[in-house]
Amino acid sequence: MLKNLNKFKQILDEEGIIFTFCGPMSHDIVVGLGSTLRNKLEEDEVSRAVSAKIFSIFVEQVQNVINYSKVNDSMNDEMSLGIVIIGKKDDKFFISGGNNIANNQIEELQNNLIQLQQMNQEELKQFYKHKRKECSPINSKGAGIGFIEMARKSSEPIEFNFENIDSYKSFFTITIIV
Amino acid sequence: MENLYIMKTKSTPEINFDLSTHNHSIRGESYPENTFTFYDPIFQWIENYIETLEQQEVIFTIELIYFNSSSSKVLMDMFDIFDEASKEGKNITVNWIHDEEDEALQEYGEEFKEDLPHLTFIIKSKV
Repeated sequence: MLKNLNKFKQILDEEGIIFTFCGPMSHDIVVGLGSTLRNKLEEDEVSRAVSAKIFSIFVEQVQNVINYSKVNDSMNDEMSLGIVIIGKKDDKFFISGGNNIANNQIEELQNNLIQLQQMNQEELKQFYKHKRKECSPINSKGAGIGFIEMARKSSEPIEFNFENIDSYKSFFTITIIV
Repeated sequence: MENLYIMKTKSTPEINFDLSTHNHSIRGESYPENTFTFYDPIFQWIENYIETLEQQEVIFTIELIYFNSSSSKVLMDMFDIFDEASKEGKNITVNWIHDEEDEALQEYGEEFKEDLPHLTFIIKSKV
């Protein structure tokens, strides 16, 4: 096992991954890992502005997974499982998150994300302000503006993917570059 | 009515609403487990409080280090209530405090301010 772990760590190093968590997402994870992440970024002398963006995207990604699993109670156990990865490549940080999603919810999410991909900063700002004024959708534990928040902090258009697992669910991934 | 005080935690801000001075503050971090549950009693207090106001000067100081997107939504709703009350002649000021080096937080303040035509919304850098 130790040998395998070492190999696993080597792969993470090669990919430039400095921080990763895989497992059930909870508020304790947000608070605990979030504070460790902030300390780590400070130790590495990452600028305050960049560090704040990374922390914010981390929180939005993990809270998205938690909230998503809460509104899908029937699949709670499976749905709160997720992965979050923070790494550095070519002087830019990336924050990737992944979690299971019900197949029948892919289309709506995909359309929302494509819309965000196509917006420039000013359009994202206006869209954010518009959504913030609206009432939050029923059943949503969040404000529904988490993805816009992430897109605004991203220096490149957000990247995402859906990989089919079975007839019922798929694995959703999103990557933000800071 | 009574004062409202809520101690801060790692993910929720300190709430200090003081009826004797009309100087109220929200300070710390805001990314609660359930944002709407956390802010619900705060909204109830504010709504009752505004009913009691006449011409006295009221100050809400907001000094947040970090807030997540659902807190941003909640803050907007709160400022909308203040904006509406200001329109009706109540004397409310929001002091939005940010660290001098924290431009992002300053910009957040400016984005709120743009949407609040009646409220006195002051953006201040912390000395």
